[in-house]
Amino acid sequence: MGAMRTRKKATARKASKTKRRSRPKGKAKPKRKAGAHAAAARGSYAALAAAALDPGLGVRQRIRALADLSGEICDDTGTFHGVLDILRDAKSPSGLRLAALQALQAATFSAVKFSRSRPEYLTALRAVAADPDLELRQRVLGLLARERDGSTQQKLLDGLKNPAKALVPPEKALQLLGYDVHADAYPVARRIVRDPPNPAAKREALRLLAADAASAPVFEEILRNKAEPAEFRQLSVSVLHSLAPRSLQAHAREMVLDDTEDDDLRAAGLTALTQFGEQGAITADAALVQRVDRLKGGKGSAMVKKGARRFLDKYRP
Amino acid sequence: MQIELRINDSADPKARYVSWAPSPCSVRLSDPTGASQPVQVTLRQKPAATGGQVRFRDGPSASAKTSLSLTLPLAGAPVPFFLTGVFGRASVMDGDVTVEVRAGTQVLGSVPLMVRVRKDAAKLTAPERDRFVAALAKFNDRGAGGFAAFRAMHTDLTSPEAHGAPGFLPWHRAYLLDLERELQAIDSSVALPYWRFDRPAPALFTPAFLGRSDSNGTVHFASTNPLQFWVTDGVPGINRRPFFVTGTASANVITEAQTLALGNQYAQFLRMEGNPHGFAHTSFGGSISSIDTAAKDPLFFLLHANVDRLWAKWQRRFGRFDPALAASFANGPSRIGHNLPDTMWPWNGITGGQRPATAPGGDLAASSCVTAPGAKPKVRDMLDFQGAVAPHSQLGFDYDDVRFA
Amino acid sequence: MTDLVAVHRAPTEDEFAERVDALANGSRRAELVELLREDDPAYAERGAAAIVRMRGWVLLALGRVGLPDDALIFVLEELDNGRDAYLVAAAARAMRSYATPGSALAPFLVGAISNIRYRDDAVSFERYGGYAVSEPGTTAVREALVTLRALGPHARGVFRELEAMRASDSGALSPEALAELELTLAAIGSGLAEPEACCSLPVGARGFRAAATSTGSGPVESLLFEDQAGAVVRFADFFRGKPSVVVFFYTRCDNPRKCSLTVAKLARLQGLLAERGFDGRIRTAAITYDPAFDAPDRLRRYGEIRGVRTDSDHRLLRAVEGMDALRDHFGLGVNFIGSLVNRHRVEAFVLDASGRIAATFERIQWDEQRVVEEAIALLDPPSGEPPPPRGPDPARPRQRDARWQALGVVPPLAVAFFPKCPVCWATYLSATGIATLEQIPYAPWLLPVLMLAMAVNLGMLWRRGRSEGRMAGFYFAAAGAVSIAFGGLGVGGSYASMCGLALILIGSLLSVRGRRDAAERGSRRRPADVCALKQA
Repeated sequence: MGAMRTRKKATARKASKTKRRSRPKGKAKPKRKAGAHAAAARGSYAALAAAALDPGLGVRQRIRALADLSGEICDDTGTFHGVLDILRDAKSPSGLRLAALQALQAATFSAVKFSRSRPEYLTALRAVAADPDLELRQRVLGLLARERDGSTQQKLLDGLKNPAKALVPPEKALQLLGYDVHADAYPVARRIVRDPPNPAAKREALRLLAADAASAPVFEEILRNKAEPAEFRQLSVSVLHSLAPRSLQAHAREMVLDDTEDDDLRAAGLTALTQFGEQGAITADAALVQRVDRLKGGKGSAMVKKGARRFLDKYRP
Repeated sequence: MQIELRINDSADPKARYVSWAPSPCSVRLSDPTGASQPVQVTLRQKPAATGGQVRFRDGPSASAKTSLSLTLPLAGAPVPFFLTGVFGRASVMDGDVTVEVRAGTQVLGSVPLMVRVRKDAAKLTAPERDRFVAALAKFNDRGAGGFAAFRAMHTDLTSPEAHGAPGFLPWHRAYLLDLERELQAIDSSVALPYWRFDRPAPALFTPAFLGRSDSNGTVHFASTNPLQFWVTDGVPGINRRPFFVTGTASANVITEAQTLALGNQYAQFLRMEGNPHGFAHTSFGGSISSIDTAAKDPLFFLLHANVDRLWAKWQRRFGRFDPALAASFANGPSRIGHNLPDTMWPWNGITGGQRPATAPGGDLAASSCVTAPGAKPKVRDMLDFQGAVAPHSQLGFDYDDVRFA
Repeated sequence: MTDLVAVHRAPTEDEFAERVDALANGSRRAELVELLREDDPAYAERGAAAIVRMRGWVLLALGRVGLPDDALIFVLEELDNGRDAYLVAAAARAMRSYATPGSALAPFLVGAISNIRYRDDAVSFERYGGYAVSEPGTTAVREALVTLRALGPHARGVFRELEAMRASDSGALSPEALAELELTLAAIGSGLAEPEACCSLPVGARGFRAAATSTGSGPVESLLFEDQAGAVVRFADFFRGKPSVVVFFYTRCDNPRKCSLTVAKLARLQGLLAERGFDGRIRTAAITYDPAFDAPDRLRRYGEIRGVRTDSDHRLLRAVEGMDALRDHFGLGVNFIGSLVNRHRVEAFVLDASGRIAATFERIQWDEQRVVEEAIALLDPPSGEPPPPRGPDPARPRQRDARWQALGVVPPLAVAFFPKCPVCWATYLSATGIATLEQIPYAPWLLPVLMLAMAVNLGMLWRRGRSEGRMAGFYFAAAGAVSIAFGGLGVGGSYASMCGLALILIGSLLSVRGRRDAAERGSRRRPADVCALKQA
């Protein structure tokens, strides 16, 4: 019974495919004027699929067809393979390949339906992970990194160790490795923090190390060092709050009380105390409340004043 | 003489929130001292130049009035009435509406309340924005908060419960509602804003709100924005790289009009899971663009609030609230969790078999304003969110631009 | 072991792969199996993805040389819990080389398909760590189906499940997997399934060990924990005085079938204990592998989200100091990059009231009910006080299982004879016809052997009855044995024998009620193997 049913389905699928193929391409051109969309959406999957795959059509038209195909590009094996071919074809226009990628990605959200196409999709992504088109490559590596794909992590790590082999800039590689705390990127991230090729790479290395309990001293050091850019020190505040949430109060308090502290850090400290502080302890901390009161009307930046106002709204109603 | 005014049939101040759908209320004489016969009272809103506006109704479908005259029995029996927010006049802060009960010129009592609805994120006032962001950050609590359950509910392994089948819209409606109620437990004036992805949203992608992305896709926040302390999976920060100019362009999606024109049958409308839904997700690089990591980015919830709003609009346009109506939902059996009578994971607590191995987060959060959908909602409970078919199925939220009737 | 890598640095992955190949070519299977232990130094300080490649290569090597009994558990573990398509595929493939396949294996393969089908991937086993890029490759789902096909009639117990998969989920399978499913269904055939709930997996593949090795003292006694509320407690103070159930986890684990499920199951186990009135008599603890990151707030929240109850008897713990002592005490199956876990097994322990390990559940999913039973068995004085010493071996309550293991070396006939479950009895008895023994020609020697086995069985029932305070089963079985003895000796004829059979069956049933092995649990999940019976 079961086998019979499957066979019937398969026959039906084949029939509909033939029908799609036999439709004349000329008539499939989707009109992009208002109102045409709904009609296109309603019954012309075949027309859209044909348009998306038709090399004779203009790129914009094909991109539009890919968008209108929506999550349904996997409903038919022929269309799915055609879209994978666009993605893999380095000679296709970049915009078209990116549109193919977006359509595929959108389809992945229908996880159950997509699962039958998933192995081939991942294979195609790996095939273009070293594509000459940087934008495409970067997007594809991101998708694979979020799958915690081992081969991608290896490529990214190799690129960080040997910049000549790098597929993406170091800051991107570090960011992508951050999707998997188990990626073993900590040694290379520590090295980049010590000897950064650029400030963005250092920032991403720090973000990556934020999940590494052993790196807490690195952040303590940056936070204490007022010569470090405010951005890194602000990041260190967040990281320390995450690694040791109970240390928040002490750190933030120190920054708020320190008149030589950077305004951004003081504002961040005020925000931390306002949002996550212990009501009882702070309300009772007269020295802190008084100082914040002075900050509200002081010479500090607008951010500090705003932070001070919110702090007082909460702790001195 | 004293009266007691109950909003949403409750004396709890946390229940003093109304939306476009009628909220059941009552007033009674709690202390009849000085009265010798039933007391004639008038209910009206205390005039205010700004803020929300409400109207009164005798019954759930009676016409809305600016004031209502009621007779309160001496024995203290409650007299029911209904309150609705005036469409287009939502509150901007907690308690910016005051309902007064007068006997002649004497004010017998009053309660502050709020017309609380989900609004366009790009149009929030600064305090509305700040309260939302603060509640979200608090719920995440630097990675150690209750948000972790929401993160665990939406992953690649749990996706079959929520995607690629008719339950897509109901599941996400429940998911958003659960989160919104958690946020309201932190700050009850908060409602989930939505991101209209088919329009530019310059006010949303800013350091003060959901952050500004740099060219690498790292999101930066103002030092006064508590989302700078956002942590998921033990990793701080958010990665999001828009492929469109957020200040002037929309995401690469079909428009609202096109979405609503997908068809008047649920099965047709469901195509929106691909475009605009999937395309909104994939108009970015970063976590939002992969199913397993999407819920790491707070933008996820604003994106989905708009997906849900589009469904609500479609329901309103075609009258698709009634689960008994074939066009309101997909017909024919679907996988478990995607049929009208099915309970939904993880709130049902069912694990193993066709369901995921664990059900993080437990029951769906309760509301102080409404009783539906209960701790273990079914797919069908998500359709009649305004109580248009059955008043008791009201879920307690509304969208600023989706009317009640 | 030092053939290829004698230098004092961590071997590269390529060197590791060469070493694995050398072991496989040299038929050094035992050393290959050793490499599947998580705590092998080869896995220290490596990323999780590297470990996937390395373990996958070991599994594939074992698949080439033939999967031995003691490696089967690693394959089952991967099928039961794996979330990485590469390892699941490698495990499914390795299983095909197992020499004595039986029906107990099939449910693991079906489980693996359910676990992995929505995140399957294209893998290639041609070279080390391969993912398919241009070559066609294979996938985890397809490998599991091919192995099911190879099991043939042994997989009849899952025929209906596979049919249901074809009916309801065919849209989620690739055309290749669907074709494979058709072939698999045809090869399995829809004939009668082998008897379920019998005989089960080899002892080493059941994921359960009665532990008598733990010394129970030493550095672990003074180890300090911090609990979910930040309270500090010494190992000896928390784990002495009452039996306890201990599970291990860490909050950053990205496999929901491991830590998330373990902690959710601990919550269910707590519910079972309370339901059965053991509140205040048995403790539970979930201990993190990752104490540096899992601060009290994280522990509390992780438990809360999964319904774990916390109070003075039920805690989520992190070692403040002495993580190594903890690792040694429990023999934890875990490895690290710095302080972060890179690979771990699923493991749960039952400790006696002295904090000594009385039972270990590892690798495959443990059954809450079974763990509860093991803990309750340690509570023999009803007052709930620590049990008085009962002889030289503190782990005495577990001797039953230790002997059980020893039985592996006695002739298969005896193994088949043991009352592992009631259905075994029925099957065996009807198969060999003990009650009508006199009809078997030329086998007079069989009688005393079987009589002896019957006596041993009675002894087991007696011990079990004593430890659980339920003797009814033993009495029934004893009466039955007497009847059969007389019947077998020609007194009373077949009527007495049949009565005896019935009585023994009832006795066995009463005795095993509620005490199923995790591997035997639920005939739907793991219908057991009848191979032992066939050999007998």
